[in-house]
Amino acid sequence: MTQPIELHSEELHSEEKSVGEKPTGAKPCQLHPQSMCPAFGGLRILSRMEGSHPVMATDTGCLYGLTFVTHFYGARKSILAPQLGTAELMAGEVVEGTRAAIDVAAKEPGCELIPVISLCVAETAGLPEEMLPKKVGNADVVLVRIPAYAIHSHPEAKDVTMAALLRRLGQPDGPKSPKSLVLMGEVFPADPLMIDGLLRRMGVEETITLPGRSISDIKRAARAGAVAPLHPFYKETSDVFRNWDVPVVGGAPVGITGSYAWLKSVGELLDLDPKLVNEVADEEKERAEAIVAAQPLSGKIFVTGYEGTETAYARMLVEAGAEVTYISTSIGQDPLVFPDEMWLKSRGTKEVVYRKSLEEDVAALDAYPPDFVLGTTPFASIAKERGIPAMYFTNQLASRPFFLSGGMAATLSFIHQTLARSERYDFMQNFFEPATSSGSPESSTAEEELAHA
Amino acid sequence: MPKVLRDMPDTSGYWAASWTICPMPDTHVICDAPIGCFNLVSTAVSDYTDAIPHIENMTPSVMREKEVGGTGTGPAVQRTYNDLEAEGLLEGKHLIVMSTAESEMIGSDLSDLVTQLKPGTTFYFSDSLSSDEWAGRDTCLQWLWENYSSDAANSMEIEPGLVNIIGPTYGCFNAPADLHEIKRLIEGAGGRINMVFPYEANLSDIDQLAKAQINVIMYKEFGQTLAKTLAELKGQPSLQAPMGMMETTAFIQQLGALLGTQDQAAAFVAHEKKTTLQPVWDLWRGPQGDWFGTTTVGIVACKTYTDGLKAFFGDELGMPIALAASRPVKVGEMDNEAIRQQLHQQAPTFLFGSINEKIYLSEAGAKHTAFIPASFPGPIVRRALGTPFMGYSGATYLVQEIVNLLYETLFNFLPVDAAYAQTRGGASMGMMGPPSGTPSKGASGGPPPGTPGGPPLDADSQSAAEDQQQPSQQPGNLPWQPEATVALDAALEKIPFLPRISASRELQMKAETLAQNRGLKKVTADLMAEVLAIQGA
Repeated sequence: MTQPIELHSEELHSEEKSVGEKPTGAKPCQLHPQSMCPAFGGLRILSRMEGSHPVMATDTGCLYGLTFVTHFYGARKSILAPQLGTAELMAGEVVEGTRAAIDVAAKEPGCELIPVISLCVAETAGLPEEMLPKKVGNADVVLVRIPAYAIHSHPEAKDVTMAALLRRLGQPDGPKSPKSLVLMGEVFPADPLMIDGLLRRMGVEETITLPGRSISDIKRAARAGAVAPLHPFYKETSDVFRNWDVPVVGGAPVGITGSYAWLKSVGELLDLDPKLVNEVADEEKERAEAIVAAQPLSGKIFVTGYEGTETAYARMLVEAGAEVTYISTSIGQDPLVFPDEMWLKSRGTKEVVYRKSLEEDVAALDAYPPDFVLGTTPFASIAKERGIPAMYFTNQLASRPFFLSGGMAATLSFIHQTLARSERYDFMQNFFEPATSSGSPESSTAEEELAHA
Repeated sequence: MPKVLRDMPDTSGYWAASWTICPMPDTHVICDAPIGCFNLVSTAVSDYTDAIPHIENMTPSVMREKEVGGTGTGPAVQRTYNDLEAEGLLEGKHLIVMSTAESEMIGSDLSDLVTQLKPGTTFYFSDSLSSDEWAGRDTCLQWLWENYSSDAANSMEIEPGLVNIIGPTYGCFNAPADLHEIKRLIEGAGGRINMVFPYEANLSDIDQLAKAQINVIMYKEFGQTLAKTLAELKGQPSLQAPMGMMETTAFIQQLGALLGTQDQAAAFVAHEKKTTLQPVWDLWRGPQGDWFGTTTVGIVACKTYTDGLKAFFGDELGMPIALAASRPVKVGEMDNEAIRQQLHQQAPTFLFGSINEKIYLSEAGAKHTAFIPASFPGPIVRRALGTPFMGYSGATYLVQEIVNLLYETLFNFLPVDAAYAQTRGGASMGMMGPPSGTPSKGASGGPPPGTPGGPPLDADSQSAAEDQQQPSQQPGNLPWQPEATVALDAALEKIPFLPRISASRELQMKAETLAQNRGLKKVTADLMAEVLAIQGA
């Protein structure tokens, strides 16, 4: 099948793999890149909105896999797609099939939005936007192009998706809300409540959290006083806001210094009463310092997820006293992450790897043996095979508050709990794979212990 | 009219081939794929279907714009190969380069390239744009035999008593428990296990398939082509793995006849009835069996399971089969759209299915239907050996499952003192109160308890409810408009039989409480519609 290929690279990131400072010695091969299918980042956002009925333009294998993870991590939402097999592709029925699926979606009760998610196969075949309806019944049809071959990580697909939604649905005209702030980023549900509570004390009248469950939030976000990306990969999305003259707050309310600086910037950008802002920021700083004083961390931790939020987590852990020697992430190197990288490297971080592969993470395991790994599932399983406490970053950290002092308390207590049960990891490794034990020579297997008991 | 798919029930040829080849530890697959196709198959989904942290013997070529837009994937595969070699990951491995939907889309044919890689490297065209996972497994097994068996297989002597099992692969729901049971049945009938291909095999040993006397094929969906090839070569007869009591008995007898161990097989069947299967007989004779005739079952699963569950629950236990559809969907069968509509309309007491059906039940608010996982997709761990659906153990396990879920349903009807809900602070009075013993309205008022002609099944729980009835919480015996009664009846019709009595009481009470709160003199159709909307009934 060699149909004309229509690429839409102008909408896509395409930077080559970039790596921070490398250790001396041989560079590991990069065989197994670590990211969830990039498209999932978009699907998660699009499936969770109330009144949104996604149509996926793709092949059946892709549909199966992405629907699987969407039904696991996204929403209990039925997903439609045109059948795009060899016959349909040869006959050039991508547009026709997609339109048919849009018509079915439009009949769902309460349908207000039909995101058409164009994936590898449909992008390669070509799905021209002008061939799709803009609106069917009450529903806006929004094309979101997130082929995995062009967008290399799922955090970046979230950015592309939010930008597409905002560009199409945002309503910048009309009365502005100068004292409102858009919080941009998928976060634990308690986080925006905590942030909102604090900001209101500083004089913020309203916060809007995106992506969220409400389509109308996307529309009115365009009239907010400022936008604060809570994660460092909302690059295109930030540009959309800048085009509306909505200023972008740098940094994120993470840890002691990060939260302090962030609160002050919000105050400046929204022109809040400096006295109130200082009061709240100082108070919050004291609280965060007290939390760290009460439960300081020690030990070497790897932060090696693929969510694009790894440097922020690492900063918090370092502030709490941990040594984060190695950080890796799925997103590409970007000016937005640079401040975090510099901050971390001046505080003992040896490497920050972008667009990482499993092999790089494993090499780091040898180079800087950690006490605890927050990683991807393959990497966490490899660490556990060595008896090192390890967890899937996505599931464990995304399910806890993270921002401001409250989030810091929750995350630190979780890390403490894990470190306190670290001997379980030794025990399990000794039980199942005593032969490959890399522990100290005097450590005995579970069977030996039983025999001597 | 182009075909519209709803919630894919089965995946593609590429997944099938990965799941078929990768269980064999002496293989390594380079999938010619973008990062997503690699991650979903090797990690994101296999974590939750097969409960393995990741498929280790699979590496992607990582197609990017460059490959899609011009260079093709040859250089990327070559680079991947070089790195794998450099890391020593291909030592002792059969290397297979595999196409994916996207590589097929750009017409990437690597059959020439593989001849320049390590000797014996092959290219597998997975036909991912056309083939579904079931046909894909069948094709892949046959391809493995054609490409990896040797002439030695032809001259190999058949060893009497040896039996192959063809299937499972990764991604086969509940496979470890079913496989365990099929092995047990084969051994009970007098056979010995030769190879379990591909699940417990090495690809290097593929010739050994020719040594067995009989092939047992685990699934109706795949493996038949390979079995036919072996039959043509060595005359091996094949049997299909059984489900339900009758099929299992016939399977053991046929195995005995083929192996010349008829007496052992007959003795095994007799012994099984007194041991493994005895719980089915006990539950049949007990009060539990009395429920079967009025307890409806729906099934959406692979054909093997759909046929097997239908035969066991429907034909053998006499349970009404409300719907049964196999995947991949055949002409004349209900597709997901039709299943969804039916579940929205009326859900059965038990639904065996995948996460798709579970979502349709959620949409329908069908909280009285018990969902039992019986198929992928959907995150579900089925690695324990004690959860078979196949064979005699499967019959017992399935009956045990549904009886326990019936108990669960009954438990949920039993009243709890409302005071506890109030101490939790959540429930509002009236709308969340305990079931009330309000007398039925009869023909002129509310509906009769239970379905037409049937006495209440939960007589005990009903009387328990009446015992705990508190006058102060009675809704007040308001009269009902006939239209309101019709609306209530229609809503109750949609609820499975067993929970209906309790639901009837609950809805009546809610309607009357709401009417009282609003100072109405009777329950009107509008009010009933409002109550049903709140309920999601």
